[in-house]
Amino acid sequence: MKKFFKKTHRMFKLHRIFIKQDLKRLMEYKVDFLTGAVGMLLTQAINLFFLSIIFSQIPDLKGYTFEKIIFIYGFSLLPKAIDHLFFDNLWSIGYFIIRKGDFDKYLTRPVSTLFAVTVEKFQVDAFGELVVGIAFLCVSIPNVNLDVSFLNILLFIVSVFFATFIFTGVKLITSSIAFWTKQSGNITYMFYMVNDFAKYPTTIYNRALSFIITFIIPFAFTAFFPASYFLGNGNALFNIGGTAMMAVILMAVGIFVWNKGVSSYESAGS
Amino acid sequence: MRKILRIYKPFTHAGFLLAAQYRVNFIFFIFGDILRCFINYFLWHAVFTSGGAKTFMGFSEHDMVVYIFISFLTGIVSYSDGAFAVGEEIRDGSIAMRMIKPIRFEFAFLFQELGERTMTAMIVFVPLMAGVEIYKFAATGVLGFNIWYFLVYLLSLTLSYLINFYFNVCYGYSAFVLKYLWGSNLLKDCIVGFLSGGVVPLAFMPAGLGFVLNLLPFASLTYIPVMIYLGMYDVPTILLSLGLQVFWLAFFIFLQRIIWNACVRHMSVQGG
Repeated sequence: MKKFFKKTHRMFKLHRIFIKQDLKRLMEYKVDFLTGAVGMLLTQAINLFFLSIIFSQIPDLKGYTFEKIIFIYGFSLLPKAIDHLFFDNLWSIGYFIIRKGDFDKYLTRPVSTLFAVTVEKFQVDAFGELVVGIAFLCVSIPNVNLDVSFLNILLFIVSVFFATFIFTGVKLITSSIAFWTKQSGNITYMFYMVNDFAKYPTTIYNRALSFIITFIIPFAFTAFFPASYFLGNGNALFNIGGTAMMAVILMAVGIFVWNKGVSSYESAGS
Repeated sequence: MRKILRIYKPFTHAGFLLAAQYRVNFIFFIFGDILRCFINYFLWHAVFTSGGAKTFMGFSEHDMVVYIFISFLTGIVSYSDGAFAVGEEIRDGSIAMRMIKPIRFEFAFLFQELGERTMTAMIVFVPLMAGVEIYKFAATGVLGFNIWYFLVYLLSLTLSYLINFYFNVCYGYSAFVLKYLWGSNLLKDCIVGFLSGGVVPLAFMPAGLGFVLNLLPFASLTYIPVMIYLGMYDVPTILLSLGLQVFWLAFFIFLQRIIWNACVRHMSVQGG
């Protein structure tokens, strides 16, 4: 037990050091970072405008009012942003780290390769999504008749936590493919884009599609299912338990594939 | 003209081969992006079933579906990487190598990209177009394909690509000042996507705003070709819109020359 605490303590310490280092790098390109963040904010603002145009003509979308849609939308941004913040470097694995042979350096480090890779990048762009997500939730919560209790707040935190790992799991599995194919960024992109489906109620999609986003690429559990529990539909066991289960399964598969991949990794070039 | 073609044909060929090399990557990307079209498709389907009305601000359901997919297709085919390529060369200094060669700087980029676009168009154009036409036939029961609208659409699409190219080259020159373009590129894509009607048809905008947006160059990128394809414009409007596109193309070609001539004197290349 004591050893375990010592180990986690060391990991957090390392993480802090890496974040500090990354922030320094960022300060070099301040203007670039700021315009990027404004771009992210604007993208979400445009989506909001898009939804408001739709709702200016119809009272509700298959039983979901404008406020409820905003709540689900805002919820979907939280796990996405947190994953983006901490695990963004997985993209680089699929796009170029393995292809260029840069993965070698992680093998020489005295921590696990997965930890070494993810800790290297602290993607501050994600704060744009995080801020918008929280803003959407704050705006919609007074209008959607939410039961704010201690238990629900706890469940909210739990579901955001696990939903984050659904994103990470999908990225982890697909970018590990690069250990065999050298490049898999586009595969990751294809699967990752499915997350956009989670922003809207799955009831608007047809049967086949809602099956896919519930059970195969389970992004519906990152937003719609947990959010609709808080909106008073569905039960905690399926909506939030499902999120946790999917996250655990995806991460387990992801870590397994990753370890397999690392052991069959061959460096590229000289 | 013949001389120009002879000089720049190798660039087109190279671009074509480059795109062919990366076609598998490209197909995965397209799959990822097409998903977004399907989200919009289902969203609008739900809007039409929830609203109960036959039309939404003048668009019927199948107009909207065709709009989603054709605007996506137009965006893909008229996409230009000019800004990024120019910016990158300015940043790493390899632009110096281009300047010592007896070729027009922007033509080399243009012809290379034409080769790449040809490859892209071969992959996405036919299947998507066929899909949309089959959908239209299934939804309305009449064969709505009109060869004249289609040909005018192709013309408008070509103009749209050229405007996009020159606009992006102008924008790419901002790398002379900014050095890094990642952030502002994100911002630009977001603004241009919205103003060009890539998110919603400009007809849905409040009247005053919609009128202004129709005149801006961004409408020429996506909105005008798509509206022509949809058959929403009558003949005078089509002629007017094409005229507007030609005007913006001339404008950006001219602007590009001015910026280039002004910037090239201030350029300094580090290393080589």
